[in-house]
Amino acid sequence: MARGEIELNKLTKEFAEVRAVDGIDLHVHGAEFFSLLGPSGCGKTTTLRMIAGFEQPTSGQILLDGTDVAYTPPHHRNVNTVFQNYALFPHLNVFDNVAFGLRRAKRPKNEIKQRVGQALELVQLSGYDKRKSSQLSGGQQQRVALARALVLNPAVLLLDEPLGALDAKLRKTLQIELKALQQEVGITFLYVTHDQEEALTMSDRLAVMNGGHVEQIGAPQDVYEDPETLFVADFLGVSNLMEARVVSAGAGVCRVALDGYELETRGTKLDVTGAAKIVIRPERLELEEHGTASGLNRIPGMVERLVYVGSAVQVIVRAATGESLQALIQNTGKGIPFEQGTPVQLHLPPDAVRVLPFGIGDEPSLKADEPAEETAATT
Amino acid sequence: MYRRWLWPSLSAPGVLWLIVLFVVPFYAVLGVAFGTVDPILFQPVPIWNPLQWNVGWVVEVLHRLAPGGIWFDVGIRTIVYVAFSLALCLLIGYPVAYYTARHAGRLKGIILILIILPLWISYMMRMLAWVNLLQTDGYVNRFLMFTHVLSQPRGWLEGSSSTVIFALVYGYIPYLILPLFASLDRIDRSHLEAARDLGASPWSAFRHVTLPLSKTGILGGAVLITLPMFGDYFTPNIVSPTPKTSMIGNQIDLYFHGGPQPTVGAALTILLAAFLTLLMLYYMWSIHRAQRDVGAVGAL
Amino acid sequence: MTAVAESRPTRGFSPAARLRGWIRNPWGRPRFLVLMTWAYILWSIVPVLIAVQFSFNGTRSRTVWDSFSTRWYWGDPVDSVWHDPTLRHALVQSFKLAGADVLIAVPIGVLLALGLARWHGRGSGASNFIMLFPLVTPEIVMGVALLLVFTELFTFVHTGTTAQILGHVTFSISFVVVIVRGRLFSIGRQYEEAAADLGASPFVALTRVLLPLLTPAIVASAAVVFAISADDFVISQWLSKGGETDTVPIRIYSATRAAPLPSVNAIATIMMVSTLLIVTLGFVAWRVFTRGERKEGAKEELGAFGM
Repeated sequence: MARGEIELNKLTKEFAEVRAVDGIDLHVHGAEFFSLLGPSGCGKTTTLRMIAGFEQPTSGQILLDGTDVAYTPPHHRNVNTVFQNYALFPHLNVFDNVAFGLRRAKRPKNEIKQRVGQALELVQLSGYDKRKSSQLSGGQQQRVALARALVLNPAVLLLDEPLGALDAKLRKTLQIELKALQQEVGITFLYVTHDQEEALTMSDRLAVMNGGHVEQIGAPQDVYEDPETLFVADFLGVSNLMEARVVSAGAGVCRVALDGYELETRGTKLDVTGAAKIVIRPERLELEEHGTASGLNRIPGMVERLVYVGSAVQVIVRAATGESLQALIQNTGKGIPFEQGTPVQLHLPPDAVRVLPFGIGDEPSLKADEPAEETAATT
Repeated sequence: MYRRWLWPSLSAPGVLWLIVLFVVPFYAVLGVAFGTVDPILFQPVPIWNPLQWNVGWVVEVLHRLAPGGIWFDVGIRTIVYVAFSLALCLLIGYPVAYYTARHAGRLKGIILILIILPLWISYMMRMLAWVNLLQTDGYVNRFLMFTHVLSQPRGWLEGSSSTVIFALVYGYIPYLILPLFASLDRIDRSHLEAARDLGASPWSAFRHVTLPLSKTGILGGAVLITLPMFGDYFTPNIVSPTPKTSMIGNQIDLYFHGGPQPTVGAALTILLAAFLTLLMLYYMWSIHRAQRDVGAVGAL
Repeated sequence: MTAVAESRPTRGFSPAARLRGWIRNPWGRPRFLVLMTWAYILWSIVPVLIAVQFSFNGTRSRTVWDSFSTRWYWGDPVDSVWHDPTLRHALVQSFKLAGADVLIAVPIGVLLALGLARWHGRGSGASNFIMLFPLVTPEIVMGVALLLVFTELFTFVHTGTTAQILGHVTFSISFVVVIVRGRLFSIGRQYEEAAADLGASPFVALTRVLLPLLTPAIVASAAVVFAISADDFVISQWLSKGGETDTVPIRIYSATRAAPLPSVNAIATIMMVSTLLIVTLGFVAWRVFTRGERKEGAKEELGAFGM
């Protein structure tokens, strides 16, 4: 078995009346950068803490390289944690912080010295031995926390939103460094975050969690482009959601009807009938001049407003079907040919549109239940 | 992570100590107060079984405290002293706490140290200081004669209610200022700025924002000084050692250290403790109410 | 439009007008409050300073200043603190009680603080309540209770030094708990978890990580216990059996009711200076130990230390 493989079987944690983690099944491969992504309260941190050993599961198994460690105390597990606030011991300097675990394992002095030196070099903090943590910047503290955990050669490294306290630019830099570090060291990183961009950037695979259960697991590209539930579609990136009625569903292609328009969409393996939602990402939504030759999957609309975000422009369009959709147009320097308040034509390329069933608690509005009218005559 | 029995075990020495030397002594007071007195030796005979308790002495003490009893005046006097002292402490202490919390600026640290300082100076030392100053030939008399307020020295220490109240204020006021300061310091500047922004004058902002928000501090400080004040006996004894300014604490002191009648003293102690418990419950209820109101304000 | 006039008159005006202007300045700090605060501070501290001054008086008077002398400290062969056995014994007794109080109450209190902060099972609520009660009990009630328990129940103790030490420790434990618990809350569990994560057994996590982090609170509570014990009057008096078991506050109390000499000022000054020194040391130790944890501009600790 590859070193650093984690398997969670029906893992459950209840606090008083609340089910923080609801019977989740998860398989993390060895040497993988795996993220747990979700909003606050979804159970991702609780799951991490159970793997680390700070919480005991109510039921279920935590298999680390085949052994169930669910009831092993944390100091006997071969996993180490980078805490959200770093938790560097304030009464020890950098060297003593990093050496802490080695000393607990009673390693000989020269081995400790060598390994600490290597660990600090790995995080680019050689020479900082004697500093106290209060003398370090946020980014430096985070690296000491990393070195402290990695010096013990754990099978798995757990990271609990380690970049949360840093400013945006530093965060971006450290994301790249962390990913490179993981590949260099070659152990499993289990990363918890609520920032979907972060998860998409760094992960080999990720799991989207909500309300104590896992909504979807997959590579970033799959989860982003092929969301299986409404929650995943909405949580990752901006999603343009529209209510529709399924006309026909199949693995290759689906047909849906909304407000008199019929659209062809990507095929799906999910069971969708009747009222459903369709989703298309802003960068796939194409805008054409009003009155150009219409064809499949075209809906007229009106430009509501334009939002300049630097590298691109968001064009908010109110479609003839009533929804407000966002299109993202890269800033190529040639200007945007659409103005606020002018009519425009939306093109939804069929394989960019996904059909999703309604989620629990989501009620379809009456509109989607209306029978499809005749396809609107092209004008 | 830790064994479940660890924390109770660590607590055990402390809890045991407090049970043996705090809870049990209270029971001893009850045992003596509800006991009897040996008629020959005049020694108290405590009764430990609650079912056999003799309420005679407690009833007797209640009689003495009731209107017409020999201690009725003392009781009323104690309440009056405490009430006046509390009022004066608030009148002096609130502006000082307010200034330190909100307007002191750079000097805040220094002023805070100076205000905390008396807490660490022995109470006896502070009383001694005033006893020296209030002597017939002390600085107070000399200053008042120098400014022609008095034509001859006054006997400040010869039995005067105002001296007792003055001493109580001097002694206890630092314990009021500190919680008051803490609560005023905590008030968010943005509340006041919002009030001013909406048209309140400085005085109005104070009355309608600062004062209500500092209510818990006022109540907390009041509890902190009135409860001990009710049991104070040494302050009147030092600055005004005559029976006509004695407080309830003096009576208890008398019955233990004068001609000892511990049973009477114990009974009186119990009644004092009962009264203070009621007072404490009232304070807690008021604080609870004040916090509830502040909670509503905070939500706005 | 002419320039806005200066907010208060300075040059070219008479001193009286300037003073009035300073007081009436609407942009300045509320002058009444400033005056009142400084008046309070003077009223609060100056009398004590005068008492200290008179401890160095050359004559036997505590009210009329003559000349500077140290006779009341060690000079006078009969009545100085050094030579008068009652005064000397009072000093010794005060330090004895305070020292014993610190040595007993601080360890018990630290353990109790740790236990109460983390214990959530049955009995924790009641234990917490019992711990808080001494803080709100008036001293005379406690004095009566302790006296009666040592004379009617635990009669093998009687009154005296042992009783006084037992009494001091009883009311000191709660102070230690409150101080240490505050520190525990601000530390949180993260360091112990990090230690366990890195392979430390629970025992090591407690002793090698948590206790060092609690050091400032332990030192501070020791200083506070010393000060409280040195200042204590009521409990010491009620459990004293006279003579050598009288402490400095008791001596001052009896002296002020008789015809005291400035030696009483001297002994009070010695006690006051000792206490202030120890409290300052405790405060400095707190600041030094938490130096690494402080962000800019944290002055709140001064207020917290004032208890």
